[in-house]
Amino acid sequence: MKNNNLNIKTIFNKSQKLWILVVVMIILTVLQPGVFLTFANMKSILLSISIYGIMVCGTIFPILLGGIDLSVGAVAAAAGAFTVVQIVNSGYTNQGVIIGVCGGLLLGIIVGLVHGVIVTRFNVPPFLITLATQNIVYGVAQLLTGNNVIACMEPKLFAFLGGERVLGVPFSVWIMIFMALISYVLLNKTVFGRSIYAVGGNAEACFLSGIKSKTIIVLAYVASGFTAAMAGIVLASMNRQAIAKAAQGYDNFVLTALVVGGASLMGGEGTITGAIWGAFLVGVISNGLRLLGVASDYHGIIKCIVIIAAVALDANIRYKKSGLQKKSLFFKKNKAQA
Amino acid sequence: MSELLEMKGIQKSFNDSPVLKDVEFTVKQGEVHALMGENGAGKSTLIKILTGIYPKDGGQIFWEGKAVDINSRSDASKLGIGVIYQELSLIPTLTVAQNIMLGKEKAIKGILQSNKMKLDVEELIQKYNFRIKADAVVETLTIAERQVVEILKALSENSKLIIMDEPTASLSAKESESLFGIIEQLKQQGVSIIYISHRLEEVYRLSDRLTVLRDGVRVAVLEKEEIIPEDVIRLMIGKDLSEATASNNLRVSDKRVLLKVKNLKRKGVFKNISFEIHEGEIVGFAGLIGAGRTEVMRCIYGADPYDSGEILFEDKPVSKTISKNIKAGFGLVPEDRRNQGFTPLLSIEKNIALTNYDTIASHGIVNRAKEKEYGNTMVEKLNIKPGNSQIPVGNLSGGNQQKAVLGKWLSRDLKLLIIDEPTAGIDIGAKDEIYKIIENLAENGTAVIMVSSDLQELLRVSQRVIVMRKGEICAEFSEGRITQEHILMAESGILTKGGNEDEK
Repeated sequence: MKNNNLNIKTIFNKSQKLWILVVVMIILTVLQPGVFLTFANMKSILLSISIYGIMVCGTIFPILLGGIDLSVGAVAAAAGAFTVVQIVNSGYTNQGVIIGVCGGLLLGIIVGLVHGVIVTRFNVPPFLITLATQNIVYGVAQLLTGNNVIACMEPKLFAFLGGERVLGVPFSVWIMIFMALISYVLLNKTVFGRSIYAVGGNAEACFLSGIKSKTIIVLAYVASGFTAAMAGIVLASMNRQAIAKAAQGYDNFVLTALVVGGASLMGGEGTITGAIWGAFLVGVISNGLRLLGVASDYHGIIKCIVIIAAVALDANIRYKKSGLQKKSLFFKKNKAQA
Repeated sequence: MSELLEMKGIQKSFNDSPVLKDVEFTVKQGEVHALMGENGAGKSTLIKILTGIYPKDGGQIFWEGKAVDINSRSDASKLGIGVIYQELSLIPTLTVAQNIMLGKEKAIKGILQSNKMKLDVEELIQKYNFRIKADAVVETLTIAERQVVEILKALSENSKLIIMDEPTASLSAKESESLFGIIEQLKQQGVSIIYISHRLEEVYRLSDRLTVLRDGVRVAVLEKEEIIPEDVIRLMIGKDLSEATASNNLRVSDKRVLLKVKNLKRKGVFKNISFEIHEGEIVGFAGLIGAGRTEVMRCIYGADPYDSGEILFEDKPVSKTISKNIKAGFGLVPEDRRNQGFTPLLSIEKNIALTNYDTIASHGIVNRAKEKEYGNTMVEKLNIKPGNSQIPVGNLSGGNQQKAVLGKWLSRDLKLLIIDEPTAGIDIGAKDEIYKIIENLAENGTAVIMVSSDLQELLRVSQRVIVMRKGEICAEFSEGRITQEHILMAESGILTKGGNEDEK
């Protein structure tokens, strides 16, 4: 009861950007009455964010550590391609689906493992190593697909992942919700999650407290690779095809969702609830623009302006809270203070 | 002497709670004016208002008799107010000259005049007779030397008033001594200094006047001849403090030996380190900064590797993995609280939980109720203020942060606690509490190794004092009475006692 109250309050306190979501939704509801705020439309928004929503659930781990994973889009494409190629080679059997999905996920885990080991063993900055693997893994996706579009309509088991509805809601949305729950539990209820926040906040203090920081870091990248692969497989199923460019631009969506949702790129700060809300905001804006009939060329521009506004507003509020004297870079202060 | 600075009726509140109430503060030209008060008395806030970091809610500031508005850091430095921060603000990869000239580089048509700048800085260094090279890279300098660079930086901006916030917190006795010389010199050149320090003996020695703040109110301004240590302490905390004896009755414990270190060596850092620690004993490690004390402790704890020698704990070799040593009963309160001691964004209870997951969690799942209980117990037991274990440790004052770091260990079955500079930058009240915690631990059988550069603290708390110098143990005091002079002499190599005879 009181606890519940406090939670909502802390969510809003931690990320005032969520107010933007509410404002945007109210505006769209007024502009498009009876169209925007409907169950069907909400479902379609959820469907549109489910792929990077799944990714966010794992990529939040390296972000909380102050790291980054730029390879998620490439990993998704490669995992999707691997799965589809397996299914096609097996002659569209259910067995092929199981092997394909497991293999795809394993591919994500291996890429994450490589990231983690290189970051912890050789002290390579995460930005560099994941940027490099982005290109390597993308190359693997191209090799797997032979640079073609490989269609895969069969069997039903595969189509189910990205296409079927359960209780009227697309299965991919259920996967997102399920992954978000797992992520939430990991981050909030387990020693692993606590250690993620702690190491992200002060790695040296954790080392001296006997926390195995290196293991934690490796696991974080494994989680990121795993969810990226899972998202890629769902995406392939949703599109009924594998293509190397399948998840182009998803790295950006994922980072945007995380940052808009209140995660700090410096590490130590951020929540999975915030990240999902962030993903939802991005989805709502895209959806709104489409409903309002704005030409798709403008979508990227407008989306980014809203996001910058959200982040700037939040930074401003945090700055004010810190009690520091306000500085303006652009305007000279009048001698109003007497 | 005329008034250089006058602050009148200064008011400041944070979230409706007043931090400064009608505070008056004046500094004359060429005086060292000490600003005293416990943590939270409002010293930092006053300084931040003076340097334009916080806006004031009310009051006026006069500089050389004229009313001034200070709205930013640059307003303050234009007037001639320089600050030497507690956390130094130099850029480590640049040279001394580059750091000093930062933001005011000399250039002809956009081309930097590096040589000219270097010469200017060298001239400045000579003028004040400092021993430092203009082209040395800052990261190669000791903390004391970096402080000199900060002072030079302030002087290069023609500062008439230099604010020093805990300047000796990370300096050894000898380095502090040279800083005092510098302060004397600055005074003679007509520079005023606002001196903030928790080390009372320095303040008595240096200051010409002294202002005491308590709970945001100015409670006294004392002239040099009026400054009596006991009075100042009473004014600061508002009550009598149980002053400990300055010297100490030393003794060797007759309890069993817990930790045995034999001929420990780390190339280029320390060598020939041998000593024993008994159960329930408090052993002080004295020495100048760079003597290798912290480095020895890190090796014992398992944080750093060593080249040769033996470390035995309860007659068994000590592991090189921290987590195993913690299980065996080790604890460490590190030297650099902010960077090594705690995770600032996490709450008190979550920081305390970090070292206690073996009992708080089962199968990797955290037991929230237990975690809260641990947090609350420590907040209560250690009197951490404010009394709420959900507050991020980064928001606490220095003393309370240190208590939270201690709290990480006190729920455990602690056999050996290594505590490095336990009270650096902490006010007297909290200091006293931390000493009591350490003494309590020892009474209950925990062996405590206390590395400290604060001689009074060493004398007050330790039962034995081991002195290190240049990476070796040079003296050990384990009987009779000693004074600060004994330790100082040992630290500087004049006196050797009980150390290793077979060295070299």
